[in-house]
Amino acid sequence: MTKESFEDALAQLEEVVARLEDSSVGLEEALRLFERGVKLARRCRTQLGAVERRVEQLLAEAPEGQEPTTAPFAPEE
Amino acid sequence: MSGRIFGVGELIREINATLAGSFAEVWLRGELSGVKVAASGHRYFQVKDAEGQLSCAMWAPRADRLRFKLTDGLAVLLHGTLEVYPQRGSLQLIVAEVVPQGIGELQLAFDQLKAKLEADGLFAAERKRPLPELPLRLGLVTSPSGAAVRDVLKVLSRWERLSVLLYPVRVQGKGSEGEVARAVRYLGRCGLVDVLLVVRGGGSLEDLWAFNEEVVARAIAACPVPVISGVGHEVDFTIADFAADIRAATPTQAAELVVAQLERQQRRVDDAQARLYAVIEHRVDRARLRLQGLEGARGLASLPARVSELKERLRRLAALPALLRAVVAVRHRRLDGAIAVLYRWPVRFGAPRRRELVTARLAVAAERLRALVQARGLTLAGAERALGALSPEAVLKRGYSVTVREGGDAPLRDAAEVHGGERLITTLARGRLRSVVLGRVGDQSSLFVETEDGNRGQGKVDREERGDDGGVEQ
Repeated sequence: MTKESFEDALAQLEEVVARLEDSSVGLEEALRLFERGVKLARRCRTQLGAVERRVEQLLAEAPEGQEPTTAPFAPEE
Repeated sequence: MSGRIFGVGELIREINATLAGSFAEVWLRGELSGVKVAASGHRYFQVKDAEGQLSCAMWAPRADRLRFKLTDGLAVLLHGTLEVYPQRGSLQLIVAEVVPQGIGELQLAFDQLKAKLEADGLFAAERKRPLPELPLRLGLVTSPSGAAVRDVLKVLSRWERLSVLLYPVRVQGKGSEGEVARAVRYLGRCGLVDVLLVVRGGGSLEDLWAFNEEVVARAIAACPVPVISGVGHEVDFTIADFAADIRAATPTQAAELVVAQLERQQRRVDDAQARLYAVIEHRVDRARLRLQGLEGARGLASLPARVSELKERLRRLAALPALLRAVVAVRHRRLDGAIAVLYRWPVRFGAPRRRELVTARLAVAAERLRALVQARGLTLAGAERALGALSPEAVLKRGYSVTVREGGDAPLRDAAEVHGGERLITTLARGRLRSVVLGRVGDQSSLFVETEDGNRGQGKVDREERGDDGGVEQ
């Protein structure tokens, strides 16, 4: 779920699309590229939605590698 | 008082007592020079103007509270008390306050720190990191109350799936800079966030001061994850802004940058996917059209019709030479018949001598006729070969026609095949005729068939097609 793998998948997807838009690609190859593009697009979407919505405030720090103490946060109106 | 002898120290004490009375508090305008920081932390310097100069000392506890640095050339208003330093007997101003002239002290401090950190390379463009490709986990350093946190969270709510970890800090007042710096250091290293937002709503330069402190600037510059600063209003620039990777004009804008990045990435994925589907649909459509073209009305489906049309044309073409041969053969037969009659005639009616003569002459004439017909036949044979290579249209143009039964497709070769009342279709070089057979004509070895011109409504026009083969009449 790193940013590299997202960017990597997106860059590959964009490349696949560019190759697909080249009309000299045969139908067989086009279908293969399409399948690959669909997989890459799905990967990108998965990563874009990988994080659960959460708004928390930190109550106490924790030593490195441990989860800090947090509580849900909502700003006062 | 005259004649009184002072000890040195005693005199200085007296002077200092007098000074304390007369110059208890002095305000002095001048320019600093020769500023030195002693090991003790006390500052020593001269203050001067065009007409004179005076030594000054500022003790460490007070000097350390200054937000700006005392530097040579600085125009200042000094506030303090005058005294003679007993050990040297020199007059000096013990400085309690320094107020920069012409520029606010905070501005001065700001300028000084900015220059210093700039020299240290903290603000260098090459240190600036871009926004993460996918800033989904945000660290937020700000006050848990106030407009800034509300503004930020409101904008961030536009992106459903992201997380915010708020490190609540005071953003103004004594010690607030330490809290901000600590929060930046912790969130930067906790491994829970992709990007850090350090924000504060608008306020006076004084209010924003925590973000102009060196400790905050250094924490931001050293932060392992990219930092977006958004302090005050558009017009407010803080040291934190210069140290941050990205300066947003306001807290709202800091959040906008994050959401815009996510939306941009979403759009890239959407666009790529839309193009992906569009291209493949286009390709598949094209392939389908080609397939339909092969199967459809103009392709495979029409193929049998086209094949039979071609076959029909070939058959007509193949039939033509036979037709021509038939013409020649029939004419030979007619000629032979005519000659035979001629031969018989003198035998029946002529005198012996005359008969011989006539017979001889007839023989010559017959030979000539044969030769003539032979030549015609050869001409026809040549034409036959030439026509064999020509299209039926060209043949038809030469005046021949092809006649079939209506609804049938075999060319008629023998008048005996046809009965009176049958409907025929005759293809001419131009147009086709539909006709009704009235009946056969005379000698059935003849080609002549009477046809009815269907093109002229009900009008019956007999039309004889005959070859002119050299004037031999039957």
